[in-house]
Amino acid sequence: MPYDDPDPTDPSVLVGVPIPADEEVHRETAAAFSSEFAQLGYNETMIHYLFTNPFYAGAHRALQALGDQAIREIVREHATFWENVRIACRASTNSCKSATLVVRSMSQEDEEETP
Amino acid sequence: MSEVYNWQLGRDMSYPYEARFPERQFAFVFNINRCIACQSCTMACKSTWTFSKGQEQMWWANVETKPYGGYPRFWDMKILELLEQANPGGQAWTADGQFKGQTIFEAAKQTLISESARVLGYLPTDEEWNSPNIYEDNPVGPKGVRNTFHATGESLPVHQTWFFYLARICNHCSYPACLAACPRRAIYKRPEDGIVLIDQEQCRGYRKCVEACPYKKTMYRGNTRVSEKCIACYPRIEGRDPESDGQPMETRCMAACIGQIRLQGLVKMADDGRWAEDRQNPIYYMVHVAKVALPLYPQFGTEPNGYYIPPRWVPRQYLYQMFGPGVDQAIERYSVPDRELLAVLQLFRRSNKIIYRYEIEEGPMVYEGKLNGRDITLYNDTVIAFGRKGEELFRTNIEEPIHVRPHEHANSI
Repeated sequence: MPYDDPDPTDPSVLVGVPIPADEEVHRETAAAFSSEFAQLGYNETMIHYLFTNPFYAGAHRALQALGDQAIREIVREHATFWENVRIACRASTNSCKSATLVVRSMSQEDEEETP
Repeated sequence: MSEVYNWQLGRDMSYPYEARFPERQFAFVFNINRCIACQSCTMACKSTWTFSKGQEQMWWANVETKPYGGYPRFWDMKILELLEQANPGGQAWTADGQFKGQTIFEAAKQTLISESARVLGYLPTDEEWNSPNIYEDNPVGPKGVRNTFHATGESLPVHQTWFFYLARICNHCSYPACLAACPRRAIYKRPEDGIVLIDQEQCRGYRKCVEACPYKKTMYRGNTRVSEKCIACYPRIEGRDPESDGQPMETRCMAACIGQIRLQGLVKMADDGRWAEDRQNPIYYMVHVAKVALPLYPQFGTEPNGYYIPPRWVPRQYLYQMFGPGVDQAIERYSVPDRELLAVLQLFRRSNKIIYRYEIEEGPMVYEGKLNGRDITLYNDTVIAFGRKGEELFRTNIEEPIHVRPHEHANSI
């Protein structure tokens, strides 16, 4: 641990300082976030859910700043693009298909399994 | 002082020694857009090289949160401020990408530092070294009270949130400031791979290198009274690691990267210090052809050999300061990658062997549509990586299978 608490008069120490950002920053944050998770095989619904979770501070702030409709459009664009090359394989069924479709079918199974 | 050519600045600059260039140069590309600060690289390095007594504060590889954090704390803010004081308002680039300000070697001549220093720099305090990542992502609590944090943290103003993780190791610079500053000439750059090392027999612990390195990647060890630094895992680079089977292998921090943000290589050097054209080398391609990867703080003048794909969401003024000119072009190309770039990006972390060359076999079109407002066509190409002797290391497709575990084995290894 440091010897002393942060000195609030030290300009190098950013304690509770809001950093300026414009709409474009939020838009790019949302795009980068959507793109990287889509590359991991997440589908539209799953990525959108992450935006609603305050744990993902940047993405959540983008949702607050841009609104739900704008975020859904960004998520859809990236999910649509990457679902063409992220192919999921399921050992149990020995089948491979679009990751998005597999995740959707798994969600349905979960719902069916839930008593 | 000699005049040497620094291609990152687009001009000649002053350097205490004449230019000497290795046959190949250790270089790497980090894709910041993908880094999640898991610190796997940090711990891989720590557990390999700096786990001994006297090395507790040493993190040759670290990941820091920008713009808040740094290891040592404020390292970049402090050196930027020193340069600004030496050359007020003059640290800028021309429209055609030439740096018209002063490097740390040039600014040293105009500031009141000791004659022996040779390089503009400063010595971080012990406190700045001893707490990497303090006050970064984590909520902090009262001093001396463990496992708690300030409950009133939510009263802080709302951040217009942007931040990113900056993974760093020694840049094994072409014009190392540590080497220039050493009065004992204990620091040298290897002719075969450009790795910068400190001769532990020659070093007397004057800490001129610690003061001079603008990236603060040389560190003093109190119990041996000499300085140490990242050695680029040279036994692995030489192929002497038992795992490597005689083939050059990437460093521990690269191999441990679960986010697959890292690719490392050995680029061919020309006699004049520029990179020799090697079109099919993935590092050369990303730095000199696609130009998606940029050096960290090129204005310092050391010609660092670490390159970064800049984070696309960060305000551009901040990125211009950190990566110099070329930021807009790099982000544009990364956001809407062309066919070749998309294939090369698949090479990251598919193997721990160093890739010397790649080839692309064209595949079928799988998608045609828009991305980021631009028309884009996606092909399922195959990219093939080759090693030092031209042997195939691996081949991978753009189309990547994701293996979904059955429910009953969801957590099995």
